[in-house]
Amino acid sequence: MLNRGAVVKLVRVVAETRETEIGCDECFEQLDSFAELELSGMEASGVMPLVGDHLDKCEDCRSKFEALLTALRSV
Amino acid sequence: MDGYGGGIEANVEDFAQEALIKITSNLDSFRGESRFTTWAQKIAMNVALTELKRRRWRDVSLQDLFARREATDRGPADTQLTPERLALQNMVLQELHRMVDEELTDRQREAMVAVILEGMPISEVARRMGTNQNALYKLLHDARRKLKRQMEAAGLSPKEVLAAFDEG
Repeated sequence: MLNRGAVVKLVRVVAETRETEIGCDECFEQLDSFAELELSGMEASGVMPLVGDHLDKCEDCRSKFEALLTALRSV
Repeated sequence: MDGYGGGIEANVEDFAQEALIKITSNLDSFRGESRFTTWAQKIAMNVALTELKRRRWRDVSLQDLFARREATDRGPADTQLTPERLALQNMVLQELHRMVDEELTDRQREAMVAVILEGMPISEVARRMGTNQNALYKLLHDARRKLKRQMEAAGLSPKEVLAAFDEG
């Protein structure tokens, strides 16, 4: 069940795990603020680290963030 | 997003209608922390992406993923490894297997395999496991923390493990 690729994936994910992480709902709620910070040229992760951390870990939420940025930039 | 085949007909009108409904029915949750248009775009993107993911993954069941994972073989032995290195890799593999099999709950294991190892979107796995995305993220977080504690208790540092497998 665990081959080399799986071990690497698993261990990387475990290594990045923090005691406190917000969930997808909380991240989503703050995503618009986070996106505007990012667009204003600030490093949004510095101001909202928990959101930044969640986006690093959660592909679903990351794709929503990227899509929102794209939509906002194209206006 | 990795393709799983099948035509994805993204109908903008479908998304626009549902997005509009979601936006208008959630107006009282807009707290003015961002521009209204940003907030509305966020909701619209969520509607579109959730539906696109659902369509892309609709023919894939959890059983498909688990069957594929079970069929995964270890790969050919790397003959360039020293016996010591090979023994270390095997020890680590065995220990991680034990942790995943014995320390995680069945649901935690299923979720980890589906989301982390097989790359199915967390929203899609949640749907199939009869829960929601937020709850599944928390379940996975618990599982990850458990494995992290287990690894620390076993004296397995992630850095060392990754080095043993030749990865940064």
